[in-house]
Amino acid sequence: MAPWPAVWARPDDAAQAISKIVGSRPVQYGRIHIELAPLVENGNSVTAKFSAQSPMTAADYVRAMFVISEGNPLAEVVSFHFSPLSGRAQVTTRIRLAESQRIWVIAEMSDGSLWRAHADTVVTLSACTEMI
Amino acid sequence: MSSPSNTVVTLPEKVRRGEVFEIRALVRHEMETGFRHTEQGVRVSRDIIREFTCTYNGEEVFRAMLHPGISANPLFIFYCRAVKSGDLEFRWMGDNNYQTILKHSIVVL
Repeated sequence: MAPWPAVWARPDDAAQAISKIVGSRPVQYGRIHIELAPLVENGNSVTAKFSAQSPMTAADYVRAMFVISEGNPLAEVVSFHFSPLSGRAQVTTRIRLAESQRIWVIAEMSDGSLWRAHADTVVTLSACTEMI
Repeated sequence: MSSPSNTVVTLPEKVRRGEVFEIRALVRHEMETGFRHTEQGVRVSRDIIREFTCTYNGEEVFRAMLHPGISANPLFIFYCRAVKSGDLEFRWMGDNNYQTILKHSIVVL
């Protein structure tokens, strides 16, 4: 197996990625729902659903959701940017998981408030670094 | 690489005004992470889609900024509020000047 790259994310890197998003603003727990299997056989493609509670009107909507990994080579996984036209702040996608880890989601609302949630998952076959 | 045959977008043809409908957007792409090595130890350079956007009559509905942590053949299932009949445009952009654009018209009743 190839050696782990020096940039391999650790919980510290995830914390750093989160602080890059939130700065010194307070972050509350809640309003976000993560659907991620607690046990994953193949980390190459893991279906995950992310949603945030919001009326999604011009006055009150979810501006963005950021997905952060504690165990991938790169802490940032993906970010979603919404508008009132989105109608619903919900996205399903497929992500890579290099190992068993915690996934964080940070949501930023149109009023500037920040919310967070996390999900833990166990991965039996990891992704990202295999030789080809 | 700009042929829309690489993409599959699923959405209803007709929707009621005000209705929130689902859009599934899939694109065929390796999403080479840049973290893999060959047996000789040479790092395979990154080649991923960086950005996916959906606009509705020119206004942004949804945008995703991708990193290597998104699986090959990126899929996004997201939502859109029906406002008026018109065009939805889907655009994928990435490394090595990758760009694919797909347009879809929608009828709002």
